[in-house]
Amino acid sequence: MQSYRLLILPFLILAVSFTILYPNFADRTLKIVVKEDVYSLPEADQKVLVTALFERWAKDYGKTSGWTIEPQGTLPPKENPFYTVKGRFITSAKINQISQENQSLVSESKNKLEPTWIEETIRGGKSLSIKLGLDLQGGMRVVLKGDFEDYTSKLKDLYAKELTELNLTLSNQAAKPEEKEKANSRLAEIESSFDLSPMRKIVELEKAKMIIDNRLTTQNLTEPQVRIQKEQDAIEVSLPGVSNSAAILEILQNTETVEYRLEEPTPFLFKTQIADNERRMMDLGKRENTDIFLFQELVKNKAGKKAQDEFLEGLEKKYNIPKDFKVYAMWARGNAAKSALLPRSFVVLERKIALSGNDMTNAQPSYNSNSYGWMVSFTLTPNGAEKFFDLTSQNRGRNLAIVWGDKVISNPVINDPIAGGRAEISGSFSEQEAIRLANVISEGALPIPLSVLEMRFIGPTLGIESIEVGVKAVAIGFFLVMIYMIFYYRLGGFIADLSLLINLIILAALLTLMDFTLTLPGIAGIILTAGMAVDANVIIYERIREEIEEGRALSIAVTRGFENAFWTIMDANVTTLIAGILMIRLGNGPIKGFAITLCWGIVTTLFTSLFLSRLFMELTVNRMGVHHLNLRPFFFGKKETKNA
Amino acid sequence: MRNINFTKYKYFTLSFSFLAIVIGFAVTFGKYGGFAHSLDFNGGLRTVVELPADKTRSDLEGYFQSKNIEAVVILLEKEKNIYQLDIGLGSLDTIESLYKDIPEANRESSTSAIDRFVQLIRYEYKLPKEKVLSADQVGAVVGGELTEVGITLLLTTLAIILLYLSIRSQFKFALASSIALVHDILMTLALIGFLQIKPSVPIIAALLTLLGYSINDKIVVFDRIRENAHGKDNLALSNIINVSITQTLGRTINTSFTTMISVVAIIVGGAVELYDFAFILLFGVIVGTYSSIYIAAPISEIYDQLRKKRFA
Repeated sequence: MQSYRLLILPFLILAVSFTILYPNFADRTLKIVVKEDVYSLPEADQKVLVTALFERWAKDYGKTSGWTIEPQGTLPPKENPFYTVKGRFITSAKINQISQENQSLVSESKNKLEPTWIEETIRGGKSLSIKLGLDLQGGMRVVLKGDFEDYTSKLKDLYAKELTELNLTLSNQAAKPEEKEKANSRLAEIESSFDLSPMRKIVELEKAKMIIDNRLTTQNLTEPQVRIQKEQDAIEVSLPGVSNSAAILEILQNTETVEYRLEEPTPFLFKTQIADNERRMMDLGKRENTDIFLFQELVKNKAGKKAQDEFLEGLEKKYNIPKDFKVYAMWARGNAAKSALLPRSFVVLERKIALSGNDMTNAQPSYNSNSYGWMVSFTLTPNGAEKFFDLTSQNRGRNLAIVWGDKVISNPVINDPIAGGRAEISGSFSEQEAIRLANVISEGALPIPLSVLEMRFIGPTLGIESIEVGVKAVAIGFFLVMIYMIFYYRLGGFIADLSLLINLIILAALLTLMDFTLTLPGIAGIILTAGMAVDANVIIYERIREEIEEGRALSIAVTRGFENAFWTIMDANVTTLIAGILMIRLGNGPIKGFAITLCWGIVTTLFTSLFLSRLFMELTVNRMGVHHLNLRPFFFGKKETKNA
Repeated sequence: MRNINFTKYKYFTLSFSFLAIVIGFAVTFGKYGGFAHSLDFNGGLRTVVELPADKTRSDLEGYFQSKNIEAVVILLEKEKNIYQLDIGLGSLDTIESLYKDIPEANRESSTSAIDRFVQLIRYEYKLPKEKVLSADQVGAVVGGELTEVGITLLLTTLAIILLYLSIRSQFKFALASSIALVHDILMTLALIGFLQIKPSVPIIAALLTLLGYSINDKIVVFDRIRENAHGKDNLALSNIINVSITQTLGRTINTSFTTMISVVAIIVGGAVELYDFAFILLFGVIVGTYSSIYIAAPISEIYDQLRKKRFA
């Protein structure tokens, strides 16, 4: 291992590492997007918002960071509604801080940090800058509790029809015994699915977690973390850097489903009854007493889902609607172009869900230039396509309502059986609504409704100032350690420092590449890594010195020193590695963050101290003609080597 | 090089450690009734309020002290005088009884502890509703998980180390290292309890770091003992131990010293909130080094003597 050619390897690794780390130091471009509705504000209000932004800017960013912002002092043009910020070290924490300080001006979820050319080339635009955890930059933490009661009632709707049929079979005298037995076992099977074991709950929570993950990734957020809290049937979502954002909460919690339900069979017995009653009221001039008006009032007063549900249940009682059916409101826009989406009439649908959102995928919003409206087209899963074909061929002439959340948004008549697995929903959508509906279909609905158990905005655990001071202190500490090593081991110390630096660079690059989120325990892991890396070199040098003291030639002493130290270093690191792997497997949160840095730190330490240090040392001794190696501190050391 | 007789003091050091741990835990549980409470570990109530400009942090602290409520007051924003108040679960009963003292007219009926606490603060400082920026009953971030996972983790780690070292060297060294490791953790926990340091995420990080450091330190010393003992069955173990510790002393001092440089830098650097973290680490480095020499080595020797006696 004494050839200069081997130096290619460390250079190569360093080059790759620096490339990966480059985006952290590069000049970057950030687009801060202005909210759409700011443009429709009166000019004076716009001015207030813009002045607030630039006053803060001048105070907090302009002077110290050297960032530039365009356009200066005014609102950007409406066709390009964003400020372009350029500078170094633009972190997600800063981006979020700016948004937070200017909440009524900036549309937080649309801000965009333009990828550097490196990120564009090697990761297709995915970020390569080091991510900071909740404890280092603060953010928002939401704990959402799964509402399993609601979940079972929905399940019951899904099986409603089958259950009636099965019960019918069971009470039918004429049915064969084997048919009854079959019905019985199927009944037991369905009923067992209403029974939620802890295992089942976890499975449902896992599904919900996946969907939340999906929703968050489309929100352009920095490193959200979603995890399940088994003890309280809840999902915890940590959003580092996010300010107290109601919009994000809404996205998380959105349990909107999309499903098809058949309307009551013609001639619409109940619907006609309701409509007749409403008309009578209107004729009497008591519009305020009509149910639809009352319902609209509920919606306008933002009475909430529960009040709306209760109102509809009241209607079911009032009109004696059988258990198999359920009252819904049909929502639409008025005739005026920009009128609100409101309940316009009532429809009575089968309680049974004919086709659920799980049967649909790949939804796309599109503009229909024939009807001047937005619609959503989607694909059905193979299973769904089959169901849809059966449904449409068996129920020709009936209405098939599309229910989005609690709203019936479209209620077309089935004219012909629909095959081929593609369908579309047209209703009176705005562009935003079409996009939302498409998202609900594509991402799937949350399997269980989630209620907010706990939500809080948390500052960084330690305070920004403390972190800055801490990082500085750690840097100074490293620097002093390096000075000490040179003081104590002279040339050996220099080589050890070199390999320590390379070690940290490789480690940083590795962690970045793995999308690791740096937390305080992670930093602790790095400190320990550095400590162990120094220790490895100390062990080696002490061994080399012993060999020298025993009178061996320098090159032999170096080789033997490394060989003797090898197993000690291996043992120490492998044992720590085992402990680290256990921590990753068993722990989460802070323990895991620490263990991940530690484990990768050990890998890089083994490489740098056993391979790189040795390479540098042997090249120094055997190729560069260094014949005297003094591994004693300055001032105290006597000359060690007599012979080369 | 002169040989230093480290094992001479083994009974003294062993009893010293034992005593220190016992005293630490006795004070922790006897005097304080356990470890300090913290929001990270036990959960509690957290409110963020904007106080009138003339109220200061010490006003708040004085108020809580006089009412016997266990609270941590953090200044979040200086200009607006915004404070975060963290209340431990231990004070719920106190809050309950104070809430009952609020005149009927100033009090809304509410059952949740956090509501009652907010009403208390609002009444005391005459705050309008909008000055209470947030109020939550928060769960423990790390506590529940840690007590459960922590012990399993420690035991499994120890078992694996025991196994690994038994295979690589000898059972007695593995056993001694494991006991010394437990010693380090217990010593540190005793100190945390004795000084009533509030457990937090940084403290956990410090404990894990010292665990890693300590394992490393023990293995280096024992590797040397194993190497020196190789093929020298007749030589007294205590002699080998002394030779080995002396040989590795230079390394031990250097490594402890360099690690301490980084840790002291954090303490001197002045990051107030990192002080506990660095302090525990500093203590851990000292204890880890001490236990490799004065706990682990003697235990392996005592174990060896006991075993020889049995088979003699």
